[in-house]
Amino acid sequence: MRLPFSIPDHDRRLIPDGRLAGIMPWIIAIMLFLTALSAATAVRLGYSVQANSSGLARQATVQLLEPDPAARATDQKRIAAWLERFPGVSAVRAVPESEARQLLEPWIGSAVEDAGIPVPALIDIAFASPPDNAQLRALRIQLVRQTSNARVDTHSSWIAPLLSFLRTILWIALSVLLLLLVATAATVALSVRAALNTHRSTIEIMHMMGSTDLQVARLFQRRIALDSLFGGGLGLSAAILVLVLVGQRFSALGSGLLAGESFPIIGWLLLALIPLAVTGLAMLMARWTVLSALKRML
Amino acid sequence: MQSVAEFDNVGLRYGTDAETLSDISFKLFPGSFYFLTGPSGAGKTSLLKLLYLAHRPSRGAIHMFGQDIVTMPRARLPGFRRRIGVVFQDFRLVPHLSAFDNIALPLRIAGIAERDLLGPVGEMLSWIGLTERADARPATLSGGEQQRVAIARAVIGRPELLVADEPTGNVDPDMAVRLLQLFAALNRLGTTVVVATHDIHLLQEIEGAQMVRLDKGRLSDPTGSLKYPPRPLVLRS
Repeated sequence: MRLPFSIPDHDRRLIPDGRLAGIMPWIIAIMLFLTALSAATAVRLGYSVQANSSGLARQATVQLLEPDPAARATDQKRIAAWLERFPGVSAVRAVPESEARQLLEPWIGSAVEDAGIPVPALIDIAFASPPDNAQLRALRIQLVRQTSNARVDTHSSWIAPLLSFLRTILWIALSVLLLLLVATAATVALSVRAALNTHRSTIEIMHMMGSTDLQVARLFQRRIALDSLFGGGLGLSAAILVLVLVGQRFSALGSGLLAGESFPIIGWLLLALIPLAVTGLAMLMARWTVLSALKRML
Repeated sequence: MQSVAEFDNVGLRYGTDAETLSDISFKLFPGSFYFLTGPSGAGKTSLLKLLYLAHRPSRGAIHMFGQDIVTMPRARLPGFRRRIGVVFQDFRLVPHLSAFDNIALPLRIAGIAERDLLGPVGEMLSWIGLTERADARPATLSGGEQQRVAIARAVIGRPELLVADEPTGNVDPDMAVRLLQLFAALNRLGTTVVVATHDIHLLQEIEGAQMVRLDKGRLSDPTGSLKYPPRPLVLRS
């Protein structure tokens, strides 16, 4: 079976491999490697931003700053029960004191219990959807009526700058991706233009024999398609290798915003489509470049 | 009788230079054989370029096969070019193609299937005596061999108009006569032939061929051939 971009032997001889192929597949491999890494970064960050926006932004923690341990435990149970009935709250979890002490350990050490330092009672709550300011204000006002020493910390308040940073990085990654695609298109155009100059006499002869512009363009776009597919496959393979290695490093971190989450399936599918998209882009550029150049000939 | 080519008051100018061709008017009749003569620099190659649609004129009207090609959109020109065979003065063979592939090129451009072009190309190679050198690239062929390949390439598609610029300049006299025989044979099959040449002896080889002379970009018609339909050709051998 002949692929749509396969080149018959006699056409291959018209535009010999050495002139257009040569370094081209390797340049495309490098461009595609960088494109795939940018795309992977964009996908990964986009996924994290979305996951954190919809997950952490829905969460809040209520701190009960009661110094008396017995009263603190009673308050924790009571407030947790009250929060379960609060409009918009979908889940409530009273954090055990031992877990709260573990959270503090990295900062004040394991002697926290022995030193008799009071640890606030914590209640994690999750809203059905990210709460707006009015909803939080209502919660704070009504909570104060339940107990005067309660404080509400929304996760969105501390995650917002981080999400903003991630969004910035995401836009940078998308911009780099776009620039790389433009650079790839420009590289193809330059390469095809150079090849057109190299093969000008052949093209003129073909023209004089009644070759149409499309026949000539097809020679170049098929050649560039093969170069792109080869280079694309190579670049993508290298990018996947890097992504797998980086993914393992992230997993080793064990915690954090980007760790512990696997690269989404849709991301892998998008990466797999990049060589095809770049091949299509390269073919279009080759066609456009050749047709534009030939228009200047009679 | 509809003409193969009709020039009416045609002028050709390259850039801002003086006109290379001026006030050219003639008709080429189907099945006729013309020799185009004139000194170097007279404009023979320029006139042929207009004939094989490499240029459009700076002024005047040109009709090829009954169609106005001056105003014709360039997308339609390839179809007309396929009806014209050209032997270039400098051969213009594709250097990285074999003799076989060079001769097959017009057929491939016309979309002829590979299995259908093996026979005609093989025949043509045999006729020009290069069967053994079918795989040779132009650089390894002598000047005469290259010229024979160029001529074979021009005639393989049985063009309606054959335009040849000094086609016998690099071949020995025997081969020159054989090539003219090929042209005459094509002409008898209905191809209109225009041969630009310096070789005055060549004109005597084909009785009935008509002569057109160019001098300083202007046409003279010593035999009156451009005014009348052609006479039957007789090849002297």
